[in-house]
Amino acid sequence: MRYVLQRFAYAVLVLVLASIVTFMSLRVTPGDVVASIVNPATTPPEVVEQLKERLGLNLPLWQQYWNYLTGMFGGDLGVSLVTKLPVTTLIANSALYTVVLALAAFVVAFGLGVPIGVVAALNKGGWFDRLSLALASFFLAIPNFVLALVAVLAFGLYLRWLPVSGSGSFKHLILPALILAAEPCALTVRVGRTAVLEQLTADYTRTLWARGVRQVRIHWIHVLRNSLSPIISLGSIQIRTLLGYTLIVEVIFRWPGLGTQLVNSILHRDYPVAQALALLLAAVVIISSAVTDVVYRWADPRVRLTGSEAA
Amino acid sequence: MTTASPTPVTAGGAVYTAVGHDRRRARINPWVVGGLAVYAIAGLIGIIALIVPSLSHLMTDQDLSATFKPPLTPGHPLGTDSLGRDLMWRILGGLGVSICVGLGVAVISIVLGLVLGVFGGFFGRAAAVGTALVVDVTWAFPAILLAIVFAGWLGPGLPAVILALALTGWASFAVIVRGEMLSLRERDFVSAARVLGVSRIRISLTHLLISLFPVTVVMSVFFVSTSIVAESGLSFLGLGAQPPMPSLGVILAEGRDYLSRSWWPVVFAGGALTVLVLLMNALADNLRDRFDPRNRSSR
Repeated sequence: MRYVLQRFAYAVLVLVLASIVTFMSLRVTPGDVVASIVNPATTPPEVVEQLKERLGLNLPLWQQYWNYLTGMFGGDLGVSLVTKLPVTTLIANSALYTVVLALAAFVVAFGLGVPIGVVAALNKGGWFDRLSLALASFFLAIPNFVLALVAVLAFGLYLRWLPVSGSGSFKHLILPALILAAEPCALTVRVGRTAVLEQLTADYTRTLWARGVRQVRIHWIHVLRNSLSPIISLGSIQIRTLLGYTLIVEVIFRWPGLGTQLVNSILHRDYPVAQALALLLAAVVIISSAVTDVVYRWADPRVRLTGSEAA
Repeated sequence: MTTASPTPVTAGGAVYTAVGHDRRRARINPWVVGGLAVYAIAGLIGIIALIVPSLSHLMTDQDLSATFKPPLTPGHPLGTDSLGRDLMWRILGGLGVSICVGLGVAVISIVLGLVLGVFGGFFGRAAAVGTALVVDVTWAFPAILLAIVFAGWLGPGLPAVILALALTGWASFAVIVRGEMLSLRERDFVSAARVLGVSRIRISLTHLLISLFPVTVVMSVFFVSTSIVAESGLSFLGLGAQPPMPSLGVILAEGRDYLSRSWWPVVFAGGALTVLVLLMNALADNLRDRFDPRNRSSR
C-alpha cells in the first residue's frame, strides 16, 4: 500500500514537470500566436496589444502558467484559436474516437498475439512457429504509415472491400484498428513466445507433468500465467507507442480522434488545443505506467523483494 | 564484419569465448550485410547527388509532359511522379537523407544516453533519482508527439528532426546503461579493481565503458533504424524534410494524394523503407546473439 502511494506521488511529480515542459515548449515557439489570429502587417498595433491582453500573453511566463493550471482545475482549458470552440468541447468530441480505436487495436494485439505466441512456442521449429516469426519480423519492420497506405491501395482502391477514410460505421474501424495493432501484435508474439519457451523448460513444468497433470492444463494455465509478467510490462510500453502511432494512423484514415486534432492544431499553431492534447496524452502515459508498475508487482511476487529501487 | 576478431568479446563482465560448450560465435548473416551494403551505396549516391549542385536537378526536375509514367519507362526505371520527376533518383536521394538522419540521431542519442546513464548509475542516489525523473518526463510524451513539438519550435526541416529524435531517443539508452552499471557495479572485477586502489572515475571510464560496448553497438543499430522510420513519419506529416527535398516520407505523402492514379511511388518508397528496417532489425538481432549467447535459443 505504501508502495502504491509512493508510486502515484511520483506520477504526480512527473505530470507537473511534463505540464511545465509542454507549456514552455509551445509558448517559446517563435511563430507568434497573435500572428496566427490576425495579420500583424495590416492590423493596428493597439488591436494586437488588446488581443495579447485578452489572451493573457502580456503577463510573465510563470503567471501565464499559473493561470493555465488554475483554469485547468476549474475545467477551463481555453478556447481554440482556429475554431473558437472551447478546448474541452473539442476533446469531448474526439476522445471517444481515439479510445475506441486504441482499445480495438489493444484487443487485437493481445487477443491475437498471446495465443499465436503460445502456439508458436509449443510447436517450436515447426511450420507455424517459423511462419509466425517471419510474419512478426515483417510487421515489426514495416512502418505503420506504409502499411496503412498499402492497405488503402489493396483493400480500398483495388478490392474495394472496406472504406478508407472517415468514421461512420464499424467497417470504418477495421482497417485503422488492424494497422494500429500490427506492430504491437508482432511484438507480443515474440515476447510471449520467448516467455513461454522459458517456462516450458522450468522445473515446475516437469514436476506438473510427472504428477500427471494434463498437458493442455499445464500449457494454457500454469505456463501461461507465469509467462504473463513480461507481457504485462510490454503492455505498458505498448500504450505509449500505440498513442504515438494513433496520431499518424488517424491522420491517414481521417479518423476524427485526438491524434488528428493534435496534428492539425500543431500545423495551425492552435496552441491551447495542442497544449491540452499533449498534456492529456502525457497524463495517460504517466498514469498507465504507474498502474502497470503496481499490477506488475502484484502479478510477480519476486519483484516485491528485489525491485525496491522501483522509483 | 563476419571475420572473427582475435579479441574475446565481453558482455556483462564475462568473457564469452570461454563459455560452456558453445565456442561458436553466432554468425552475422551475410545476406544482411550484403543488403545493407547495397543500401549504403544507394544512400551514398543519393547524398552525392544531393550535395553536388549539378546533379541535384536529377531529383527535382519536373517534366509535366511525362507525369505518372509507370515503371520500366525508358529513362525512368521506376517511373515518374505527379510532377514528372524521376522516382528512382528521388528514392536514392530519400535514402541519402534517411542515412544522414539515422546516423546523426544515433550518435547524439548514444553520447547523451551514455553520459546520463553512467551519471545515474554510478554517482549515488540523488543522481539516480534525478536521471530517472528526466527519463520519465521524456517518456511521458509519445516520441512522435515530442518530435512534433520540436518541429514546431525550430521550424520544420532536417536539423529539427535530428535534434528532436535524439533528444527523445537517449532516454531508452540511458535506462539500459544505468541498468548495466548497477549490475556491473556488484561484479567481482569491479570490486577487485577497487581493492587495488583504482579510482571510481577510472573504473567507470575504462572497465565499465568497455563492458558496455556490446549493448552500445546493438542500440546504435536500433537508433538508426527507428530514427529512419521516425524521420519518414514526420516528413510524411509535413513536419520533416520540406519539398522539393526528396525524403521517403515526402515521396509517400505525395504518392498518397495520387494513390488512385499511380501505385508505384508508395510501393517503391514504402518497400525501400521496409526492407531497410527489416535488414537493420536482423543486423541488431544478429549482433545481440553474437555478443550474448544467452539470447540465442529464444531468438
